[in-house]
Amino acid sequence: MVRVKERYLLVNIIYPPADGSRVGNSTTPNLVVQHQPTTENLTPGILVRALKSQVASLFGDYGAGCLESDLSVKYLSLATSTVIIRCSRDHYQMLWSALTFMDRVPTKDGSGRPCIFRVVRVSGTIRKAEEEAIRQAKQRLNEAKEATSQIPSSLEPKESSRPEAVLDVMRDSDDESMHDVDD
Amino acid sequence: MLYDLNVPWSPSTTDSQLLQTLTLSASLGYGAVALNTTLTQAPSGQQGVPFPKLSPDSSTKLPRILHRATLVLDDPAASNFSLPALVRMYDILAVRPLSDKAFQNACLTFDTPIISMDLTQNLGFYFRPKPCMAAVSRGVRFEICYSQALAADARGRAQFIANATGLIRATRGRGIMVSSEARNALSLRAPADVVNLLDVWGLGREKGMEGLGSVPRSVVVNEGVKRTGFRGVVDVVQALDAPFTKEKQDGQPGQGANKKDKKQKRKNGEETQKGDKHQSKKMKLVSRDADTAKK
Repeated sequence: MVRVKERYLLVNIIYPPADGSRVGNSTTPNLVVQHQPTTENLTPGILVRALKSQVASLFGDYGAGCLESDLSVKYLSLATSTVIIRCSRDHYQMLWSALTFMDRVPTKDGSGRPCIFRVVRVSGTIRKAEEEAIRQAKQRLNEAKEATSQIPSSLEPKESSRPEAVLDVMRDSDDESMHDVDD
Repeated sequence: MLYDLNVPWSPSTTDSQLLQTLTLSASLGYGAVALNTTLTQAPSGQQGVPFPKLSPDSSTKLPRILHRATLVLDDPAASNFSLPALVRMYDILAVRPLSDKAFQNACLTFDTPIISMDLTQNLGFYFRPKPCMAAVSRGVRFEICYSQALAADARGRAQFIANATGLIRATRGRGIMVSSEARNALSLRAPADVVNLLDVWGLGREKGMEGLGSVPRSVVVNEGVKRTGFRGVVDVVQALDAPFTKEKQDGQPGQGANKKDKKQKRKNGEETQKGDKHQSKKMKLVSRDADTAKK
């Protein structure tokens, strides 16, 4: 029996840093501003519909057809602005570029704030995507703590010192199911 | 380190907007950013770089900032920019040719390392492989600015994709540099997203990563050497202290010795080794002769 191959995209919603006039004297560190909670009434259904229409506008009927059946939002956390989206393996690049072209939070009445959808991990299994989400959330928490207190927390292992591989979204060394060609 | 060699700046850009863009750029993972001003005519008189001096508070992390000028070239015959003066003012120069002739000129003769174009417009000419490849082998790089596509309408997007794929076809993906030309913070995208976008448009993943990393780096380093080094070839990286050089005058190269020096050194070493061998052989022979003479 051949399994249907999928890709899970771990996506962060990023808001622009505070306007320069407030950068100087605000107490909230930029990291926290950029990863602030999504306050809009965003539901998985709305997100899927917005993605489909974006894909349709970029890739036409072909793209819409390719992602018609297999696109679904697996996890949506408004508090951390994190989303996990599932789509078929052959067409994940179309979904990714549609995400790149989105420039505001989709809502019913189109009044969402401007934002960036940043794909931080492409994974073959949802487990790895979840693990990565947890790892990044922890790291961000540590960094935010450091930024507010300016005293490095010595209790936690300093994961932020690890050079973040910004380009290396598709790390396949630790992801066993990325390259299993039809077995 | 990742480079974004085009963050446009104009006199109407406020410092706070610029700071916002730069902060986001740093947090997305870009290590160096070039502020870009577009010049349609040669600046009159001697003035410094127009960019503002940014003074963020200590907590905001900013990328390394370079200064760049883009010269708009319409008619190659009437080009009235005096390059040496501009070279002294800016870290990087680029051209934006508007016509076929100007493009040819930029590819084949003009002495600037970057050709940048507004790909959302109908250019009125095609990218032919011959001048494009000639430019690449001369060391000129083509710039693709992704936020032009993000900001454009459907028609502009189609035009952008047509031009970008044409450029990629003409150069076979060599010498292509990717930058943002982000007019505000929100048209920036993360490096991985950009690489994927270009992959969809036909520039391979590897080439896309090079376009963000090593290609712009080579431009920056080359331009730096051109400005600081001797005749654009040799650069002084670090000078040793005076007493130290006196002690070790027998050609100890400095810490930043370039490849050439190393090669030379190795060559020298080999020669001395060879010489040693010869000498020992000679000594052996002499001693043997002496032995036989004794007998």
